[in-house]
Amino acid sequence: MKFMLLCCHDDRDWDKLSTTEQEQMIEEASQQVSQIKSSGHYLSAARLHPTSTATSVRVRDGKRLVTDGPFAETKEQLAGFYLIEASDLHEAIDIAARQPGARLGKIEVRPVLEIPGLPT
Amino acid sequence: MKYMLLIYLADDAMNDAERESCYKESTQLTHDLNASGHYVAANPLDPVATPTSVRVRDGKRAVTDGPFAETREQLGGYFLIDAPNLDEAIRIAGRIPGARKGTVEIRPVMEIMGQPTG
Repeated sequence: MKFMLLCCHDDRDWDKLSTTEQEQMIEEASQQVSQIKSSGHYLSAARLHPTSTATSVRVRDGKRLVTDGPFAETKEQLAGFYLIEASDLHEAIDIAARQPGARLGKIEVRPVLEIPGLPT
Repeated sequence: MKYMLLIYLADDAMNDAERESCYKESTQLTHDLNASGHYVAANPLDPVATPTSVRVRDGKRAVTDGPFAETREQLGGYFLIDAPNLDEAIRIAGRIPGARKGTVEIRPVMEIMGQPTG
């Protein structure tokens, strides 16, 4: 089964960390990627720029509405994600709990719907 | 430049038939984007399964049911695209069927971890 691990935190908590702490977390995250790669769980992962760079797009009655900022002004925002292969939710939770982002904010585990016919 | 297009939808935004046709239209869009060189990846998330949130504090794991944000909208899926600039990412976001029912949030990707660069 494929799971999406959504790493969410308050950008202000990240900004409160020292540069060294930030670098350590990034280093730890890339080590985690190597680990889940060698264990066969890794599919992809990415870090996103902060929500200050977000743009939201809606289409209503054929007209496009574009606004600056994320779609919802919530405290915790999506900062990055992992796409993993795991045998079940428990294994996905185990992997999520090992990510450094689980200590800063939280990681939301969502099963991916497998639909046929997507480009590979 | 890579952009993550996050599709946020209210849980009652679509009935089953609309969702089915949304998946079909989205699949067609992935092929169109693949042909134009914009496509990196796309996936819908399970609309029914309850999200699980995992936090670790002081070495202890706290697992709760429920999404990270208590809003009516949920992340319904995403497109990861390659586009030369934000304007083009906006044009592509406007073609995602979910943009007609919900909101597509565009986030520039800082780095794709663990993949060869260059």
